[in-house]
Amino acid sequence: MLPILSLIVLIPLIFAALTLLTKTKQQARAMALVATVAVLVLTMYMYFNFDSTIAENQFVEMYQWVPSLGITYHLGVDGIAMPLILLNAIVLPFLILFTWNDERKSPNRFYALILATEGAAIGVFAALDFFLFYIFWELTLIPLFFMVSIWGGPNKHHASIKFFIYTHVASLVMLLGIFGLYFAAWEATGTPSLDIPYLLSQFQFIESGLMKDMIVLALLFGFIVKLPVFPFHSWQPDAYTEAPTAGSVLFVMLKIGGYGIFKIVLPLLPFTASPGLMINILAAVGAISIIYGAFAALAQKDLKRMIAYSSVSHMGYVTLGAAGMVSLSVSGAMFQQFSHGLIMSVMFMASGVINSTAGTRIMNDLGGLAQRMPKLAVIMVLTFMASLGLPGLTGFIAEVSVLAGSFVNLPAYVIIALLAIVITAAYHLWALQRTMFGVFNEKLGTIVDINGYQTLSMGIIAILILYFGLNPSPVLDMMLTNSENIISLMAVMGV
Amino acid sequence: MDLMLLAPELTLVVTGLAVLLIGLFIPVGSKKILGFLATLGILAALALTVTSLGTEATMFDETLSIDALSQFFKIVFLVVLLLVSIASIKYTEGSDNTEEFFSLAIFATIGMMFVASANDLMVLFVAFELASLATYALAGFEKNNPRSIEASMKYFMIGSLSAALLLFGISFIYGMTGTTSIPAIAANAGGLVTNPIGIVALVLMLAGFGFKIALVPFHMWAPDTYQGSPSVVSALLAAGSKKMGIVAAFKVFIIALIALQAEWQMVFAILAVVTMTYGNVVALSQTSVKRMLAYSSLAQAGYISMAFVVLTPMALGGGILYALSHGFMKAGAFIATGAVVYMVLSQNKNTENPDHLDNFRGLGRRMPITALSMTIFVFALAGIPLTAGYMSKFILFSSTIQSGLVWLAVIAILNSALSLYYYARVVKYMYFLPTDAERVSEPLPYTIALAVAVIGVLAIGFWPEPFVHWAMEAAKVLIPGGI
Repeated sequence: MLPILSLIVLIPLIFAALTLLTKTKQQARAMALVATVAVLVLTMYMYFNFDSTIAENQFVEMYQWVPSLGITYHLGVDGIAMPLILLNAIVLPFLILFTWNDERKSPNRFYALILATEGAAIGVFAALDFFLFYIFWELTLIPLFFMVSIWGGPNKHHASIKFFIYTHVASLVMLLGIFGLYFAAWEATGTPSLDIPYLLSQFQFIESGLMKDMIVLALLFGFIVKLPVFPFHSWQPDAYTEAPTAGSVLFVMLKIGGYGIFKIVLPLLPFTASPGLMINILAAVGAISIIYGAFAALAQKDLKRMIAYSSVSHMGYVTLGAAGMVSLSVSGAMFQQFSHGLIMSVMFMASGVINSTAGTRIMNDLGGLAQRMPKLAVIMVLTFMASLGLPGLTGFIAEVSVLAGSFVNLPAYVIIALLAIVITAAYHLWALQRTMFGVFNEKLGTIVDINGYQTLSMGIIAILILYFGLNPSPVLDMMLTNSENIISLMAVMGV
Repeated sequence: MDLMLLAPELTLVVTGLAVLLIGLFIPVGSKKILGFLATLGILAALALTVTSLGTEATMFDETLSIDALSQFFKIVFLVVLLLVSIASIKYTEGSDNTEEFFSLAIFATIGMMFVASANDLMVLFVAFELASLATYALAGFEKNNPRSIEASMKYFMIGSLSAALLLFGISFIYGMTGTTSIPAIAANAGGLVTNPIGIVALVLMLAGFGFKIALVPFHMWAPDTYQGSPSVVSALLAAGSKKMGIVAAFKVFIIALIALQAEWQMVFAILAVVTMTYGNVVALSQTSVKRMLAYSSLAQAGYISMAFVVLTPMALGGGILYALSHGFMKAGAFIATGAVVYMVLSQNKNTENPDHLDNFRGLGRRMPITALSMTIFVFALAGIPLTAGYMSKFILFSSTIQSGLVWLAVIAILNSALSLYYYARVVKYMYFLPTDAERVSEPLPYTIALAVAVIGVLAIGFWPEPFVHWAMEAAKVLIPGGI
C-alpha cells in the first residue's frame, strides 16, 4: 500500500528544500502551491478512506529505526489527529494563494519556511513514536522563528527570541516528561520503547504515584505553553502580532499543544495519583484564560493584537473542555481547535490586508472601511461573528459543547467562563464598529479592496466556517468516537 | 604478537616521517603535495582501523590493549585528524613549514591513539606527552602572530604543570599498589582505599586529566589557546586532544580506580555541573567566535563528564557517542570559522580579530556553503533533533533520569536550552544581519572538510543505530557486567 502518511509529511519538507533553490517569486510560489495542493489531495484521499467509527490509529506505518533504544518510525492517525491534518491541508493552499501577489524579500525562503512548518506540524500529528514526535515538535519551532525574525514587524527580534526561548524551554520540560515515561515503563516491563500507544498503555503499571504525577505535569507544561493559555501565554501576543500575516496563520495552524493534551495527557490522566488535581489545573487555566483573554482583547488598540488575545481566550475553551471529562465537552474542545484554526486564519488575513492598504492596524485610526472594501467587509463580519459564537457558525458549536458539557462536572468554572461571553461579544463588535463601520477616515488615503486571490482564499475558508457550522458531523463524528474512547478510560478508573 | 594490530599507527608513523622528509627537499611552491600525501596516509589508517573493528588483543606484555573502546576512540581521533588535514591543505598553502605542520598533527594523533589503547599508566603518560608536545608546537604555528605565541606559551606552561601533577599522581599509585598496569591497579587497590594517600593520588590525577579535558577550574588556558591558535589547530585541540583526556580518564578512573568510585563520582558531579554552567554562561557574552566555541567546548566537556557520575552502561555509551559527535561538530565549527578567518585575512592581511562575530554578517550570502555547514554544526552543538548532538544528548541525559539523578538532568537540560541562545546568535549574524560585502569564492579544501563533517553529523543524527551499537560495545569494555 502507498505510504500515504509519510508522503503527506515528506512532500512539504522535500518541496521546502527545493523551493530554497528557486530564483524568482514566480517559481517559489508555484512550487509551494504544487506541494500544498498535493498534500490536500492526499489528505482528502485519506479522509474519505478514514473510518470515523473506530478510535484506533489508521493508515499505520511502522519500521524499526534504533532498535537498541526502542525507537521506531511509527506513523498513524486517529480521530484526534485527522481533523487537524485536514485543517492544515485545507488552509495551506489558500494561504499560498493569499500571498500570491505580495512583494517581499527572498520569496524562496519565505515559501520554503511555510512548507517546512506544514510538514513539521503534520509530522507531529502523525507521529506515533515519542522520538519522532519530539523531532517534529522541535522542527516546528525553527521555521516559525525565522519567519518572525526575517519578515516580522518592527519589534520582530524581541518577539522571535521570546517565542523561541519560551517554547524551547517548554519543549525541554516536555522532553523530561517523555524520558520519565520511557524509563518508568522500561523498568516496569523490561523492554525499552518510545512507542506512544505502547507507553500510554503501560503508564498504569508504573508504581510510584509521584513519578506518574511528575510525568503528566511535565508533559502538560510543554503542551500548555505551546497552546498557549494563561499564565504561559505571554510569548503569544508578541509573536502573533509581530509575525507576517502568513506567519500568524501558521501559528494558529499549529495546534500541537491541544493535540498533545487530547492524545497524550487525557489518556494518562485517570491513572495518575491525583487526577482531581490535574483536572482542576486544566479547568482553572481554561476558565481564567477565557476571561483574561477576553478582557485583554477588549483593551487592545491594535487590531492584530486584539485577535491574538482573542486566541488566548479561545484556547481556554480547549483546556476547559478537556477537563470537562464528558464526551460532549472533550469533543467540543477538539472541535474548538478545528474551528479556531479556520476562523483565526481568516481574521489574521483580514488584519494583514487592512494593514497593507491602510498602513495601520490601530483601530481608532481606521473606520468606515466597509465603504471602500465591501468584499473584505462581508468576509470579515462573517468570521468575527463566528469568533464571537453566533449560531450557525463553527465557533458556536464548539463553545456550546464545551460549556454545556463541562457544566456537568465543573459548574463553578463554567460559570466563571460564562461571564466572558458578554465581553467576547463586546470586543468583537466594537472592533468591527471601529474598523469597518462608522465614518470613513479620509486621512487613510486610497483604500483598495482585496484582490481576486485574496477574495478566493478568504472566501473559501469563510464558506467552510459556515459549512462546518451548519453540518459539523464530517469532523465531529470522529472526534466524538475518540472522546468517548477517552471517557471510557475515565469510567474504568471511576474518576 | 601480531604487528598488524598496530597497522593504523604504523601507517601514520610512516606518513608523518615521509611528509617531514619529503618536505625538506621540495620547493615551497609544490609543498601542497604534502597535504595530499598526509591525507592519503590518514585515510589509509582510518580504513585499517575500521576494517579491524571487533578485534580484541593485548600487546607488549599487556601494556597495550586493542578493544572496542580503543578502536572507537582511535576512529574519533583519526576522523578529527582527517578533517583538520583536509582543511589544512589550504591553510598551510604558501607556508615553508608545511611539512612540520602535517607531521606534528600526525604525531599528536599517534599519541592520542596510543592513549586510547594504553593499558599501563607509563605507556599512557608517554603517549599523553607525545600528543601534548606536538600540540604545544602546533598552537604556536603562526610564528609572527603574537596571539598564536601567547596561546602556545600558556598552553605549554599549564600543560607542563599538569603533566607533572599527573606523573606525581601516578608515582603515588605505583607506590601504593606496586604496579602501573591498569587492570592490576584495580586488583590491588585495597591500600588506596584505606590510606589517605589514595585521595591525594586521585586529586593529582584529576588535575592532570582535568587540564586536558578543560574542566573548570583547570580550564584557564583553553579560551586563550583556542582563540589564539590557528583555527585548524583549535579544531584538533578541542575535538581530538580533549577526547584523549576523556578516554584516559575513563581508563584510569573507571577501570583502575573503581575502588575509589564514591570519591571521584562526587567530584565529577560537582565538576560537571560547574563546568557546563560556567562554559555556557560565559559563552553568552563572547564576540569572538573561536572564544565562544572554546567556552561551548567547556560546556560540552561538562556534559560528557556526566557519564562518570551516572556510570551506567547507557551513560558511558552516551558519553562515548558524545565524544564522536563532538569530534565532528566541534572540528567542523572550528574549520568553518577557519574558512571565514582565511577569507577575512585574504582580503585584508592586517585585520584585528578576524574571527569577530561581525565578520559573520551576511555569511549566508557571501559564503553559502560555509554558512550552511556552520548552521548545522551550531544547531548540532545545541542539540537540535536529527543531528549527532541531539542523539548523544538524548542518550546521555536520559540515562541520568534512568538512574534517578533527575536534578542533574534538569541542570543539563536547562544548560542546553541556555546554550541555544549563543548558537542561534551566530545563525542570526550569518543569515539576518545585512552586509554590503560581495560574495567570495570558498576555498575548496575547507569546503570538502566541512562536507565530510556535515555528513558525519547528519549520519549520526538520522541513522544512529550502528553508532549507538559501537558506543555501547565500547562502554562494555569499561564496565563489563554493568555496575
